[in-house]
Amino acid sequence: MASPLARRSLLLHGLALGLLALQLALTDRSQILFWGAVALVALAGLKLRESRRPPDLRRAALAELIAVGVLAVMNPELGPSLLQASTALVVLGALLSQEAGGRTSLRQLLGRSLQLAMAALPLLVLLFLLLPRLGPLWSLPGATAGRTGLSDQLDPGAIASLVQDPSPALRVSPLSGAIPPPAQRYWRVLVLDRFDGRRWSSLAAPDLRQPPPPPPAQGTPWQLWVVEPSPVPQLPWSGEGIPLTPGLRMAEAGELIGPGPGGERRRYTLGRPTGPSAWRTRPPLPQDLLLPRGSNPRLEQLAEQWGRTLPPAARVEAAARFFRSGSFRYTLQPGRLPQWAPLDAFLFESRAGFCEHFAGSFTALMRAAGLPARVVLGYQGGEWIGDAGGTSGYLDVRQRDAHAWSEVWLEGQGWVAVDPTGWVAPDRIAAGVQGGLAGQLEDLRRLGRTLPWLRQLEQGWTRLDLAWTRWVLQFDGRSQNGLMDRWLGRWRQWQGAVLVGGLAVALVPAALLLGRQYQGRRRDDLRRELERCLAQLAQLGLQPRGGEDLEAFCARAAEVHPKLREALQTLSASYGQLRYAPPETTERRRALASLQHSRQALTRRTSGD
Amino acid sequence: MGSRPLATVLAAINGVLLGKPSQVQLAVTCLVAGGHLLIEDLPGMGKTTLAEALARSFGLDFQRVHFTSDLLPADLTGLRIFDQSRGAFRFEPGPLFTQVLLADEINRASPRTQSALLEAMAAGRVSVDGVTHPLPQPFCVIATQNGLDQGGTSALPESQLDRFLMRLSLGFPSREAEASLLAGQGLGLEQLGALLQPAELLDLQRQANQQHCEPALIDYVLDLLTASRGAGAAGSPLSPRAGLALLQAARAWSLIEGRRYVTPADVIAVFAAVAEHRLDGGHPLAEAGGHSRQLLESVDAIR
Repeated sequence: MASPLARRSLLLHGLALGLLALQLALTDRSQILFWGAVALVALAGLKLRESRRPPDLRRAALAELIAVGVLAVMNPELGPSLLQASTALVVLGALLSQEAGGRTSLRQLLGRSLQLAMAALPLLVLLFLLLPRLGPLWSLPGATAGRTGLSDQLDPGAIASLVQDPSPALRVSPLSGAIPPPAQRYWRVLVLDRFDGRRWSSLAAPDLRQPPPPPPAQGTPWQLWVVEPSPVPQLPWSGEGIPLTPGLRMAEAGELIGPGPGGERRRYTLGRPTGPSAWRTRPPLPQDLLLPRGSNPRLEQLAEQWGRTLPPAARVEAAARFFRSGSFRYTLQPGRLPQWAPLDAFLFESRAGFCEHFAGSFTALMRAAGLPARVVLGYQGGEWIGDAGGTSGYLDVRQRDAHAWSEVWLEGQGWVAVDPTGWVAPDRIAAGVQGGLAGQLEDLRRLGRTLPWLRQLEQGWTRLDLAWTRWVLQFDGRSQNGLMDRWLGRWRQWQGAVLVGGLAVALVPAALLLGRQYQGRRRDDLRRELERCLAQLAQLGLQPRGGEDLEAFCARAAEVHPKLREALQTLSASYGQLRYAPPETTERRRALASLQHSRQALTRRTSGD
Repeated sequence: MGSRPLATVLAAINGVLLGKPSQVQLAVTCLVAGGHLLIEDLPGMGKTTLAEALARSFGLDFQRVHFTSDLLPADLTGLRIFDQSRGAFRFEPGPLFTQVLLADEINRASPRTQSALLEAMAAGRVSVDGVTHPLPQPFCVIATQNGLDQGGTSALPESQLDRFLMRLSLGFPSREAEASLLAGQGLGLEQLGALLQPAELLDLQRQANQQHCEPALIDYVLDLLTASRGAGAAGSPLSPRAGLALLQAARAWSLIEGRRYVTPADVIAVFAAVAEHRLDGGHPLAEAGGHSRQLLESVDAIR
């Protein structure tokens, strides 16, 4: 024997360390716990290297499991969680293959590891439901910048580059009620109220250093939002609803501003609206009418004519007619517009553009016509993945669904959303960018059709991810409180007792498993069964001779009592199998059953004789 | 209970050597365990027949050497001779280069020749003039010796008896068996064809090595070994090598019995053949099987 360490165990430990290193490489280095996890993995690696005896391997496994736990605190998302779970299984397998003497097959190892994990499951569920949440750990600030998303100003080209980007932007899941129909799916993010003659931007950056917002209002949960990292702090929403997630607040222009910067994935819950949102009726500010005079003279000339002759609502109608009648064209390749008077060049010469062009120039037209107006950036559309009623499932919005539209202030109605792109390319609104560009994207659509499984796979994963977000990640202290209230009601003061009692119950499967796997106990069971049989035979005057094995003894007994032959043969065969066959053979249960059966037969016969 | 993989071989050998089924199974076990066999009996009891039947039914090459006091080691191993046509030395392999070597009356040869044979048995190769020649695979020596003290013999010392996995004695056949022998009902050796290929024997040997031994069985073997070493135990104490040999033989026996695991019954079945010649300190046929029976009876086998 070269070494008391099982080779397979060492290999599995190596694999586990590799998986841990991979996960560390994928982890954000600015997290507080990151270097702690690195230290743990390094510790486990060194321990493994200097391992000489089985207890050393146990210590390495412990360090690895703790590292998995630390990773779980850092990355609670679905994908990383799955990776963590499989790493834990590998570590358990490594542990077991050492403890079992290295003679177990990989399948058995996997089975045993899963069994152990299953035994821990009740404990996990209980702790998940009842253990108080450590709030700050869950929201350790991350510092990565968003990779994709909206820009904070409207600059031709910004959206064109996003249009082609199929990466996910956000997902909305209705918690009560249904998701709006396609034509109403406008998800506002940014409001741009400053125009310099060419570019739209925000006059005031949202002040993130305000004192924390008041505690969230009470309300019925309505929509769950999951938003991928984005460079802007504003969050998408439909413009309706009450912020329920702590730290979420509404800005005056109808922007939703979330807790923390946009660099990480954000999740929040909106409550069912109880009335029209306040921002819709907030009167316009002077800046909502500002237009640099002379920057686009032809535009101003046209709009001022409308402003002189038409009442406010009719000015919007006039613009709609103007866009519909002119030979405007929706395209993703509009070409560059001149530095000077770019909107004039667009409205009266090129007449080709996408949502930014339409929204930007329409808003400028309205301002020139004396109507307060602003540009809204956000997303439009999304693919519903779920039931036909739109109540169970989620809306999948991609970066390519980024959109720009306008809002005008109409006396008596407040801020009214107007989407000039819809006048030019109604398909763009009904069917998304791809509809607006029918033909151009035909190739891509064909590809999508030929790979429906890919689509299904992606949808399945997204659905799972959303469920994870909704049921696991969103389960915070508040949900916990609600649950306790619902379950315990008046007996809330017994919460501690419930926790302790639940812990005891949750440990039962683990205890059972341990008991069952304890070799000595199993041996004793078998031994007891055998001794009962031997006692029965002793009543018949049959005793094993010195050194006689069971097979020979049973054969001799059968010579004396031919009636018992069958029971005796079963006894010796099944006992031999239970006792001396490899422990994991599948016939084990059957052998135990037939052993008991033959004991009963012996009992019957001896008492009958 | 699985099928018995060697049932046909056993049946064929039993058709040649009448009335000795347990000895035949032990001999086959010895071959499957990859060990060497010592058959000790009076002349004319069928020793050679058994050896040759074994070799033939397993399809192995067979050589027979009758040992005499003037047999030299080179007569067994072969030697380098000068080839005049090529003008160079060339190795002429001796009868040892075979798969089954029947060494008749091994106790008649000089200790020096015995040593050469036993070295080859242990190492599986032969060195002549500094050049090493591997022996064929599988390689098995079946040696016979006359149990009776006769003139001009050198009994194998204890340490060399250890090289044989098993020692068997055939004993007189039963009356019925002898009757059918006399009636000419036994098969002739020449009627026995090869039932297996040498590669199949190697495969069986590999399988035998993988037979499962539960800790409970190891406990039983350990108890037997310990009992042989205790104060007042019958015979010489069993060495660790004897323990390994016992387990190896029990594995092969359990394979022949058609099981995937070893039980105490297997250990008991091979115990006398494996242990007796190690227990009795090289006194041939002294109270045949007595020591091993005492040992077996002293250890509880139902566990």
